[in-house]
Amino acid sequence: MSSGRQGFFALFEHLDSTIEACKALRAKGHKGFRAYAPLPEHHLLEEGLGLTHSPVRVFTLAGGLTGAATGFAFTSWTSVDWPLITGGKPILSIPAYVVIAFEMTILFGALATVIGLFINSRLPNFSPMVAYHPECSNGSFGIYVAAPAGQANEVRDLLKGFEPAELREDPEGFDV
Amino acid sequence: MATAESELRRRGALTHPDVGKYSDVNRDVLKVLSRPGRGWWVLFGIALAGVGIFFLSWFTQIVRGIGVSGLNAPVGWGVYITTFVFWVGIAHSGTLISAILFLFRAPWRQSIYRAAEAMTVFAVMTAGLFPLIHVGRVWYAYWLVPYPNSRFLWPNFRSPLVWDVFAVTTYFTVSAVFFYLGTIPDLAAARDQARGLRKKFYHVIALGWRGTDREWHHFSKAYIYLAALATPLVLSVHSVVSWDFAMSIVPGWHTTIFAPYFVAGAIFSGVAMVITLAVPMRKFFRLEAYLTVKHFEAMAKLCLLTATIVLYAYMTEYFLAWYSGEPPERGSFWNRAFGHYWWANWIMLTCNGLVPLMLWFKRVRRSIAALFVISIFINIGMWFERFVIIVTSLSHEYEPWAWGLYRPSVVEMGILLGSFCWFGFWFLLFTRLLPPVAIAEMKEVIPPPMRGAKEAS
Amino acid sequence: MSDGLKRRDFLKVLGVSGAGASIAGCSTQEVERLIPYVVPPEDITPGVATWYASVCQECSAGCGIRVRTREGRAVMIEGNPEHPVSAGGVCSRGVSALQSLYDPDRVATPMRRGEAGLQGSTWDDAMQALVGGLQGAANPLFLTGILGPTEELLVSQFVAAVGGRRVVFDPLYDTALREATRIAFGVDTLPQYDLANSALVVSFGADFLETWGSPVAMSRQFAHMHGVDHGEKGRFVFLGSRLSLTGQNADEWIPIPAGSEAAVALGMAAHLVQAGADAGPYADLLSAHSAESAAQAAGTEATAIAALANDLASAPSVVLGPGLAGSHRGAAAANLAVLVLNAVAGNVGQTVRIQQTQSPPGGGFGSLLDAIRSMSSGSHGAVVVAGTNPAYTAPAGAGFAEAFQSVGFKVAFSAALDETSEMADLVLPASHPLESWTDSMPRAGVYAVGQPAMRPVPHSDSRPMADVLLQAGAQMGHDYGGATTFRDYLSRANAAWLAANGARVGLTGDPEDRWRELLRTGAVSYDDQPPEVSALQPSATALSFDSPPVDGAGDLTLLVYPSSRFGDGTQANRPWLQELPDPVTKLMWHSWVEIHPDTAESLGVRTGDVVRVTTDHGEVEVPAWIYPGIRPDVVAIAMGGGHTAYGRFANGNGVNPMVLLPAVQDDASGAMALVSTQATLTPTGAWRRVATTEGSSDQDQRNIAPAVALAALGHAAEEEAGHHEQLQELQEIGGFKPSETEGRAEDYPLPGAEYGDYTRDQPRWAMSIDLDKCTGCSACVTACQAENNVPWVGENQILMGRDMHWMRIERYYEAVDATHAGTVDIRFLPMLCQHCNNAPCEPVCPVFAAYHTPDGLNGQAYNRCVGTRYCANNCPYKVRVFNWYSYTDLIPEPMTWQFNPDVTVRENGVMEKCSFCVQRIRDAGNRASVEGRDIRDGEVRPACQNSCPTGAIVFGNVRDSSSAVAGLVGDERTYRVLDELINTQPAVHYMKKVTHHEVDSGEH
Repeated sequence: MSSGRQGFFALFEHLDSTIEACKALRAKGHKGFRAYAPLPEHHLLEEGLGLTHSPVRVFTLAGGLTGAATGFAFTSWTSVDWPLITGGKPILSIPAYVVIAFEMTILFGALATVIGLFINSRLPNFSPMVAYHPECSNGSFGIYVAAPAGQANEVRDLLKGFEPAELREDPEGFDV
Repeated sequence: MATAESELRRRGALTHPDVGKYSDVNRDVLKVLSRPGRGWWVLFGIALAGVGIFFLSWFTQIVRGIGVSGLNAPVGWGVYITTFVFWVGIAHSGTLISAILFLFRAPWRQSIYRAAEAMTVFAVMTAGLFPLIHVGRVWYAYWLVPYPNSRFLWPNFRSPLVWDVFAVTTYFTVSAVFFYLGTIPDLAAARDQARGLRKKFYHVIALGWRGTDREWHHFSKAYIYLAALATPLVLSVHSVVSWDFAMSIVPGWHTTIFAPYFVAGAIFSGVAMVITLAVPMRKFFRLEAYLTVKHFEAMAKLCLLTATIVLYAYMTEYFLAWYSGEPPERGSFWNRAFGHYWWANWIMLTCNGLVPLMLWFKRVRRSIAALFVISIFINIGMWFERFVIIVTSLSHEYEPWAWGLYRPSVVEMGILLGSFCWFGFWFLLFTRLLPPVAIAEMKEVIPPPMRGAKEAS
Repeated sequence: MSDGLKRRDFLKVLGVSGAGASIAGCSTQEVERLIPYVVPPEDITPGVATWYASVCQECSAGCGIRVRTREGRAVMIEGNPEHPVSAGGVCSRGVSALQSLYDPDRVATPMRRGEAGLQGSTWDDAMQALVGGLQGAANPLFLTGILGPTEELLVSQFVAAVGGRRVVFDPLYDTALREATRIAFGVDTLPQYDLANSALVVSFGADFLETWGSPVAMSRQFAHMHGVDHGEKGRFVFLGSRLSLTGQNADEWIPIPAGSEAAVALGMAAHLVQAGADAGPYADLLSAHSAESAAQAAGTEATAIAALANDLASAPSVVLGPGLAGSHRGAAAANLAVLVLNAVAGNVGQTVRIQQTQSPPGGGFGSLLDAIRSMSSGSHGAVVVAGTNPAYTAPAGAGFAEAFQSVGFKVAFSAALDETSEMADLVLPASHPLESWTDSMPRAGVYAVGQPAMRPVPHSDSRPMADVLLQAGAQMGHDYGGATTFRDYLSRANAAWLAANGARVGLTGDPEDRWRELLRTGAVSYDDQPPEVSALQPSATALSFDSPPVDGAGDLTLLVYPSSRFGDGTQANRPWLQELPDPVTKLMWHSWVEIHPDTAESLGVRTGDVVRVTTDHGEVEVPAWIYPGIRPDVVAIAMGGGHTAYGRFANGNGVNPMVLLPAVQDDASGAMALVSTQATLTPTGAWRRVATTEGSSDQDQRNIAPAVALAALGHAAEEEAGHHEQLQELQEIGGFKPSETEGRAEDYPLPGAEYGDYTRDQPRWAMSIDLDKCTGCSACVTACQAENNVPWVGENQILMGRDMHWMRIERYYEAVDATHAGTVDIRFLPMLCQHCNNAPCEPVCPVFAAYHTPDGLNGQAYNRCVGTRYCANNCPYKVRVFNWYSYTDLIPEPMTWQFNPDVTVRENGVMEKCSFCVQRIRDAGNRASVEGRDIRDGEVRPACQNSCPTGAIVFGNVRDSSSAVAGLVGDERTYRVLDELINTQPAVHYMKKVTHHEVDSGEH
């Protein structure tokens, strides 16, 4: 079946032209296109695509707090559940439990962050790598647009305008 | 952009004139992953043999009993715990360089941190074995993990050993995750160049990374948060390890300065180990363009700083022992300096206190050969530091009648040497399977390709 | 325990006679055939211990013991409190009798010598050989150790019936003293000493706390004399060339040369005579002596001698003879001189009593030499050896082996093949004392019956010698009043006596009742003593009182002394004793030669250097041990080492010093001369690590074992209090205020204990140890090992520093100087788990294996232990021991039979330590709750307390302010080790040693 869309993959050698192309696409109201880069290029992400905040930090915070709470609750409950005196210390030796709570804060926080990352960036992603160009992990940038049949020519012209090193056209367009 | 570039050059981050393009990095780093040479195989063979010795010795001990070690009363801890603390210490610089220096935006970290992180993970993997090795009934060691026994008795969370379990496992998990996450984009790069089976391998472990804006966006954020979590973790882990001793009442252990003193020592030994590993890597894999003298000098400075902290801690211990006026405390340190184990103490002071002072000289800091030698000295010295703290203190406690001596046994030596081979085994695998230098991050310190720039020239 | 006993008196007796036989069997054959206890035998409840009163046969002192049996197996030996002599105490040798009972090297069956040496045989065959051999032989010689009176009677009857000759040999019997007594007072007996009522005890080298006389009884008396609890404190002065354990307990030491005892004693006596005392027939002798001559002989100042002599006269005192370690060619003379001194000082009839009785035959070396001569002259057709091992204990020069070999028919009654019995033609496995009947008369007015505690251990087809003799006698047609077993013989022999004296000694009712009661208590005493003599008689025999000749070249006098662990070597095949640190040197498993530091320096040897000790008679190579407590011109080696045949634990351990000695005796008495030759020491250049537990004998200003001067008693308390306040202030400055307790009853429950069921009204178990009474004899160490299944680990593990004792006696030198007379201050500190309230070992355990029990014990859950050893590292007292291997797996059958069923056997990788004998606490607790009452004070007595001859250890509930221990905790001498430094608040309270000289107050 056909999605009724056409896919364009433009490979750029230069960062600035990539950024400009992205800006232009956004100006034309294109939403679902993807930019590819061999490094976390902040100008591209911020100027080009206007990405600012990431919800990952919420995961981190939630994870950390859960860890701290679990740490204290767990140690205290087990101590009271079967109270055994050691060394004349109180059954609830809070200072000792701070260490446990702290480590659990870090552990939960870190794991939650990873989960948050995977969810938000859709990793792992083992779908066939059609909308991709190996050069993007090496020295070049790229833009992939899945343009509705109506706008195909417009998008082609726009991308050409930025002198891509290569412009690949797929009959089928995908969401990536 | 141009200003940013010159700024980078000024800070010495930018590596080498003939690394000008992004693709140069891929070329230089990924070629390391190609077929290993004879030298690598020889080293790997040695490592494998050592691992054999390691597990043979351990097996002997499990079958015959912990008595095959030289341990006794009063010296209940010896080479095993010494080596445990040694490796945990080694593990610290990795996360320090990757996380703390990342937060401080230290530009020289990029080329070194991948190897440092790998070292961290493998060092923790090595250290983690020693608590198992040293217990009397390893087949019950799992009782330390927090689960209730059949009568619903849980572990004793007041025991520093349980803190250890939490700290070390957390540290291992977090640093492993941090390490793996950082590699993903580079694995994608390796995937895109590799062929056949290797390609499948990298395809899987790269998790289908494509380098899209969405991936990079969340990735870079997540990386910051992880770094922010890892930073206090690094400091906590060796503090907890130091509390194994500081929480006891053994003269020579029961000291409030132990946490900072141990953390400094850990970073000291860790950085030294990074130098020890980086120098040959740089040579074998021809990474001179990426591991420049500037990097080594920066690490040398870090060594110098921590060395002075450690030396200060040594002196503080002696002063406080004298100042306390308590015979057991004074006796313990007198024995440390002039008792049966005086030699260990003086090896420690020479290697950790005196030798690193040469780093005050710029010429020494900038001589890779000198740094390599000094780093070896520091490694030895830091092992003996733990030996001195553990063995001499235990051998000379409160009860004069119970003073005793300890002689490590062959089995302990086998396990000690074996542990280095175990570590080397993993590290050698790493240099062949994972990009030893962070490709994507190296690109951050290379001026991005600009159409504008080209027109200008 | 006595409560428990009364219930089962009747059954106990039966247990031994009739039914007991079958049951004890149950624990062996039956069990192996897996027949369950469907119907428990009537006098054994599974899981409930049965106690049998008996008599200890380890030395001739004849202490009363109680043997604890479980399911028919003897598992523990403790003192019998109802025994008039030992009164509850026991020594290491006594406790370790269990290990000779279960000795894996016991002779399994009778053996006869064939072409291929000794071969296993049957009793029928053996009896035939015995009877035939004895009937065929002319004048058979019976060579035995010292026997109980009734057995003695039987043997002499038997010997008479076969027309043989009887010789007794016991190297540790003080024949010289007996002869001296005969000379001085005309009575052939040993004097009775009353240390308890003396204010001053002077010993010329007699080791009365270890091997001489009746050590357990004398330790108790000494502790009473020397302790302060009855107001004043007695003094103990030791004169000798080496500080034995006894000497280490002295207040003053005059290091006189070996052999000068007579001169010194006579000098003192002479000084008193000059002051008007009466020396009777010895006045002329004394006129030749004076304090000056004594001082000259002793190498000290005359004033010291005179002062000591005056003290002897002015207060009730006792002077003890040279004893065994000092015995030499002039032994009788020296003993006589000491008796004269006693008489002159007015002690005879007061604290030294000579009773008009005939003691049983002792065994002198002279009689052995005599027997050797007659054996080699071929005047004996057969020889029967029992209970003595001359081939080992007699100097090689005596030629026993050759003489013995020359006899046609050699019979040995022997539990294990030793140097003598392995030469025999017929070896008859003799039953162990704990398997057979005996009786004893330790002193006039005391009679004790020793009953078997269990059936013979099936690993050895043994029979009591007495039974065998009765059987043989029957076959030869003798008549023993129809007795077929020694038990019959014994009860018949007693029947008449009991009938006559029963009422007097509190045994009433019909004969059977009297007999049972006698067996229950184990011993009786009667107050009407035989008449005493106190008048000196002129010496019939001419004795020389000069220093006796010492033969041989060399500049060092060799001193051979009986070991306080092995005696003459009889107890050497017992791992408990081999691994018991020698009370003086703290060495284990191997022998040593004691050398004064100066001598060592001139020889250039350090402790551990192997030196060759050479005399004209032999040489041995043995590691040196540097000892400040021995004269520079003397070197000493203990007996008991270097067995060539005895058992796996004795053979080859150490050296036998007897090979160095000439076969000489004191001609007057026939006592063996142990100080008789010079020796040369030459370093071999070899060095060996000595097996010791001693880390340092210097307290290093830590006041682990402080002392308080007698003069300071009374105001010691304030000092301490003052100091304590200071400490509190300091601690508060540091921001840390420890919970205040001096361990008093009202201090409990302690702050921090208000959780779980820790606030319930539980006892708080605590212990008090009086360092002023502890003599360092180490009986507690062995008792603890026996009670708690503490394994021995062997010499190699000891060398690695891995001894497993739950209790150790630390020995710190404060003042020891062999170069001139002066004060001795050696501190003994029994160290065991302190059961701290704030136990450092507990919180560090990751799995709660170490935790605090509601009744205040420092619990150790073996099967929860993972073996991190953190607790041991963190124990400031270093009382936790670790199972580096599964040591108990190495314990051979049937020694495993001794295991206490109430105590777990620990496996490889587990930490263990003193539990305050928790099994006894729980046992008493259960009994109390069954009877619906609280545990009575004194109802729980740990093994160490029960074995202690001096009563230095008191155990109880410190929260019960009426308990004995609670009272002692408040004493001004009481302190707790390291408590003020690290606030561990131990439950073990020590009471400072009290010294006659000034000491630092014992504060930090």
